[in-house]
Amino acid sequence: MSAKIMGFDAYNFNFFWLMLLTAVEVGVVAQSENMAWATLVFVLVSIGIVKFVGIAAVFMHLRFAPESNVLTATALFPVIFIVLLVLMVGLTSPSAVENLPAFCRPGYYGL
Amino acid sequence: MSDDHGYHHGPHDWSHGAPHNSWAPIVISLGSGVFLFFFAKAFTMNEGMNGYIYDSAPLPLAIAGLAIIFAGLIAWWKQDFSFDGSYEPQATHGSAPFSNVDIRKVGMWVFLMSEMMIFSSLFSTYIRYRTSIVSCYSLEGTVVEPGTACWLPASYFIAKGGEHANSTLGFMPDALVPGAINTFALIISSYTIVMALKTAKRTDLEHAERSIKVRNYLGATFCLATLFLVMKMVEWFIGFHIGPFEAPSLLSDQFTIHNDAYTYNYGHGAEAGAMTVDIRMAASAFYLTTGTHGVHVFAGIIGLGYMVVKAHKGGYGPGNAVSIEYFGLYWHFVDLAWVAVFPAFYLY
Repeated sequence: MSAKIMGFDAYNFNFFWLMLLTAVEVGVVAQSENMAWATLVFVLVSIGIVKFVGIAAVFMHLRFAPESNVLTATALFPVIFIVLLVLMVGLTSPSAVENLPAFCRPGYYGL
Repeated sequence: MSDDHGYHHGPHDWSHGAPHNSWAPIVISLGSGVFLFFFAKAFTMNEGMNGYIYDSAPLPLAIAGLAIIFAGLIAWWKQDFSFDGSYEPQATHGSAPFSNVDIRKVGMWVFLMSEMMIFSSLFSTYIRYRTSIVSCYSLEGTVVEPGTACWLPASYFIAKGGEHANSTLGFMPDALVPGAINTFALIISSYTIVMALKTAKRTDLEHAERSIKVRNYLGATFCLATLFLVMKMVEWFIGFHIGPFEAPSLLSDQFTIHNDAYTYNYGHGAEAGAMTVDIRMAASAFYLTTGTHGVHVFAGIIGLGYMVVKAHKGGYGPGNAVSIEYFGLYWHFVDLAWVAVFPAFYLY
């Protein structure tokens, strides 16, 4: 891939920003004592999303390659299951921790 | 061989290197299943869930599983070693939407989809428990029954330094240094692997010079991946004291999956206090997720080791550079997973 982003080699451009964002990420946490919880989460999630897109789009060639679109669609296919998984398992039934059925507990299958 | 669809080196022509229909990954999967099943049977939690029971009987079968994995890897590498890209099967025109896309590339993406589901299940578990178990921080200043379960995140020991205030750099605790190094190591390794791909595709270099450069980039990736696991071991089990930098391991800080009586000391001066709490859930979520990621890094190291040897022998060029790209897809995925794991488990 010899793609360019703003006149720079796409790999070099992406690498530079990933390093910078990672430094900011660590720096923000180092200063998190003086930061509101919501602000910290927002900053971490925002930086994470940008890094995620940078790696997937440039390093994994989900952009700038002839088959990028179909492979992007392929890569995004599990997202619907992931969203369902996180919503249904992650964010529901507050009492489930204490009330997990026996078949979800260690030892039920003799293992 | 007869069934080569008109190509000189068909998909079943092992002697000329055509790994696309290899049975070796199936053998490796089988070996992995045998190993994991019997290894899990060797270590089981006790009834109180605060310790484990060791049984040596299943270990020979776990070792047999490792032997099957090793045999599968050897077979796969043997099939791939002579592959020069002369037969790279593509989806045909009638196989929309993947027409003319390399079948190996599509296969790798389908594999990565299954990997996404693995990490999604780990993250949904993490979110599930983190949002439903009371935070130990919120219990500070209250009377707590000893053994009360609460969530003490790994970030307490890492990003906050736990009870150790050592901060040589001034802006972050020493305990965060291995995790920070690992984050940069993975980002840099993602860059070196794409540079290996880019170099392997270059036609303006002599084969020998190109091979050396590709080998060096792959070797750098191998070293960075190894550094990642070494730092992980330091962080989990060893701790470090190098010059002014000093931090204990998570193990010596008693952040373990069976610690149901952790003494949590908090606050300073008049606000100081202590409580004995059960931190098993937070520790289990941390070790399971970061450990799964570490296993992926280890698998990458094994693959990279082979690729470095192949590159050293001049095995990569413009014709088969896509092999580096396909491994790179896996490696970038490992990096992507860390992009989510690092803030969720180390920083927050």
